[in-house]
Amino acid sequence: MKKKYPAIPLLLILTGLLAGATPVHDLYLFGAVNIAGRVAGSRDVAKNGVYGRQADGSFAHRGINYPAMLTGSFDPRDSQVFHVAALCGVMTTTDGGHTWRIGTRWDMTEPKSVMVDPNAPDTVYAALPDGLGVSTDRGHSWSRHENGLPERGKYTQVVTVDRTQAGRVFAGSETGIYLTEDAAHNWRRVFPAVDTVTDIRQSPHDPKHWLAVSQSAGALVSRDGGLTWTPLTGIPDQQALYNVAFDPTRAGRIAIASWSLGLLTSEDDGATWVFRNDGLPEKHHVWRAAVDPDNGRLYAAIDGGALYGSDDFGRTWRSLGMEDSRIQSLVFVPCAQR
Amino acid sequence: MKKLIIPFLLLAVLVSAQPSFTGPMLAPPADTRPDTLRRAYHTRVDETLDWYLNAVDAAKPLTREQALVKLVRGQDATAVSQRIIELLSVPQSGDMFWMFPWTAMAFTGRDQLSPEARAAIREAWRTYFPMRGDTENHWVMYYASLFLMTELYPDDPGETWFNGKSSAENHAEAKGFLLHWMDLATTIGQGEFNATHYIGEYAIPMLYLAAWAEDPAMRQRGRMMLDLLMAELADNSLHGVLRGPNARTDDTSVLERWNALATYFSWAMYGHTPPPSGYGGWGIYFAVAAHHYQPPPLFHLIATDREFDREQHDHKRSRRRWRYSDVEMMPVYKTGYIRRDYAVGSYQGGVTDPIQAHVWDVTWREDDPRGVHNTMFSVHPHASARVLQMYFTEYPDWMIDLLASQGKPSYGVADKILGCSPYEQVFQDLDTVIALYAIAPGENFQRVNGFFSRNLRDVTEDASGWIFARGGNAYLAYRPLAPYTWDDLLGYRQLPRGDSGYVWERFRPEGPVDRILVSPHANNGTIVQAASADEFESFEAFQAAIRALPLEFTLEPRPTVKFTTLRGKKVAFTYGETPVVNGRPVDYARWKLFEGPHLNAELGSRKITISHGRQHRVLDFNTVTTSDYVTP
Repeated sequence: MKKKYPAIPLLLILTGLLAGATPVHDLYLFGAVNIAGRVAGSRDVAKNGVYGRQADGSFAHRGINYPAMLTGSFDPRDSQVFHVAALCGVMTTTDGGHTWRIGTRWDMTEPKSVMVDPNAPDTVYAALPDGLGVSTDRGHSWSRHENGLPERGKYTQVVTVDRTQAGRVFAGSETGIYLTEDAAHNWRRVFPAVDTVTDIRQSPHDPKHWLAVSQSAGALVSRDGGLTWTPLTGIPDQQALYNVAFDPTRAGRIAIASWSLGLLTSEDDGATWVFRNDGLPEKHHVWRAAVDPDNGRLYAAIDGGALYGSDDFGRTWRSLGMEDSRIQSLVFVPCAQR
Repeated sequence: MKKLIIPFLLLAVLVSAQPSFTGPMLAPPADTRPDTLRRAYHTRVDETLDWYLNAVDAAKPLTREQALVKLVRGQDATAVSQRIIELLSVPQSGDMFWMFPWTAMAFTGRDQLSPEARAAIREAWRTYFPMRGDTENHWVMYYASLFLMTELYPDDPGETWFNGKSSAENHAEAKGFLLHWMDLATTIGQGEFNATHYIGEYAIPMLYLAAWAEDPAMRQRGRMMLDLLMAELADNSLHGVLRGPNARTDDTSVLERWNALATYFSWAMYGHTPPPSGYGGWGIYFAVAAHHYQPPPLFHLIATDREFDREQHDHKRSRRRWRYSDVEMMPVYKTGYIRRDYAVGSYQGGVTDPIQAHVWDVTWREDDPRGVHNTMFSVHPHASARVLQMYFTEYPDWMIDLLASQGKPSYGVADKILGCSPYEQVFQDLDTVIALYAIAPGENFQRVNGFFSRNLRDVTEDASGWIFARGGNAYLAYRPLAPYTWDDLLGYRQLPRGDSGYVWERFRPEGPVDRILVSPHANNGTIVQAASADEFESFEAFQAAIRALPLEFTLEPRPTVKFTTLRGKKVAFTYGETPVVNGRPVDYARWKLFEGPHLNAELGSRKITISHGRQHRVLDFNTVTTSDYVTP
């Protein structure tokens, strides 16, 4: 029987806060550096793939050079074990990124997102451009679980697991948001869309509170655990929104990244929104936004630029390095998992 | 987005005499006896190898290609071994374009290289993690290489391979994909069909399978697929020049039809056209194993015999669609018509490849095609983030900018002449093409671009509305269906790379320039009728004949054409409807995998018959057999 650990993330965050300034989370970046103009076969001039935050705040490459790693999800039992959505499929490491195994085969490629079920961590879900893949053996082997997904129209950009219930998973696809409550054996659509849903996130403060962003339908909110979704007002819907991030340290603070629009924030739980691009480069193509669970620092990864940080939730910014990068995702991992 | 390789990038080709490229135009070998053809083929292969060897500079280290050629020739194994160790002692790049060269090195050198050099190659397959890519040709290169290397090292555990899978796992996976790809190609058609450059990215891996696969079935399949590729090249080329349509081409090859890697294969196989500069860049990687293969004499006849007119219908497929489409792969109904002096080719239009497709053209024969823009066609310059997203798993708003930075400068410009459009529908009957356009409101470019080569002669805008021209020994008639103006077509010049990748500027080429017929109307159309100059007393007689052809058309509410072709066919074609010829709708549902005088196969059959006259070769992928027979 699968266990439920709804309060684990919050406890870890509180533990971190009580610990003072010492980070209680590792920060991993997935992306590439200096790849402008890169095509298949190009000569790489920098290391790409996984970067980890060092004690001095800088980022160091680890493991192999792989220019197309999008995001990773860590095994809550051991952060040396993590799974990465990469161009070649889902890659799994058991030694912190030094060696890898591609668990998927030729018939699954270009996963866009991957996530471990925190309550059933042998199970990993992958958003595929043609559906959804599931591994029940820590990423060693994969199969499709798509009952309830349409035959066509199942390009899936993001998969997100409900931390309160094993096997409860959302998939953001080109035709909407799909939900399974039985570990992907059956899916049902809970929100229809005509364009790709790009991100789905669960609030660290209220597990019933979910946000989603999309390519042309703006941002969506659910207050009932993702069963129903309504548009969030005040957010442009003419440009693609790439991801959404809650501030784990303060309820009500949310950030949204957009390549075209830059960075938007709300500090009243989505009621009003403000552009926070002052202090970012003129071409503020924000590929990813994230909020540090240890201190509420807001991160903005500028496409082709650097990683920026703000300690006042976007009012002022400073570069944190990683120049000429495309950071596909920022993943915080509790140090306790080491 | 990591789409393409520009094939010439890989090789820092040294300038030295390249006999066939710089020499006089080649004539088709008059002596077609099999032993003569075989000898000539091997001579051309050797020319390629020699060119690399002759460029060896004793004061400089060997390039990877030079080292490989030395192994092919059995020279200096000790020095080559040491050089291989040096080459592999630094971080590697190149992904699948790294894999097949080192596969060739491993197999060519397995009995010559030092144990240390062989160990260095083997170790590189553990430490360097090549990407698999996102395109069919990437995967064919990746998996063919992996298939072969895991046969060379059959019992190794997962930790000895970059991807963590054992030899057995990798071998099984590679075999699975290769069989799947071959099955698609022989049931519903190849995806990247008639590609001007990417033919190499298929032909080289297939040659390697044919040469080195231990699995006899895969070895045989590799040879059969290579046969199919080379037979199609022969059938689709006009005196060695691959013409349109092309699933993929580029801004250079779409105009200067000869200037393509495909020409290297025409030269190497059939010897009736000069090879491109540097043997097309990748040509060397075919040459190093080319002695393991030779096209049968009947392919040579298909390639060189242009004394009778022929029409060929093929079934192909689009690139895989990830989203925003009801079908995974759009069927492609391809028509080719070849005569001695020109070729006309097309498919039905629509989006088959998001960037580099070329839907239709008339290509005429030039006695020496080098440097000549011997083609005529029109396009809607379509650029769409949504269409890009259909084929690429990327976000929408940065992709168009990205393409220019990745080496495809024309994608988002108004005067582009490369690419397909969802608003273009094409019908071809023999040497008549009707292309209709209904460009949706809101699309960036509400215009049609007609390409008029600098090499056309006697371009005449006739009061009838037809534009007449001469190309080689062909007469051409181009009828724009809406008003137009003329622009010069500027070139693209690459500037030093900036922080954002490739940077381009437009420039005016020296000498005569190509022109673009710009027709800035959303509902639009083009009719092109070609003929041989030998059919008419004079150019004026051709013009009179065209003027006399019955033509009715309207553009509103949808483009509609009723035209009686020069060949007497009554064609009715309305945008959005099935074309009608002599009162009968074209039945695309009955389109075969191949149907014509030279290639024939039923859809779904996995069995292709390649013919010329009484000679036949049957490629039966069901039984993995090749059989030759001669009709009594």
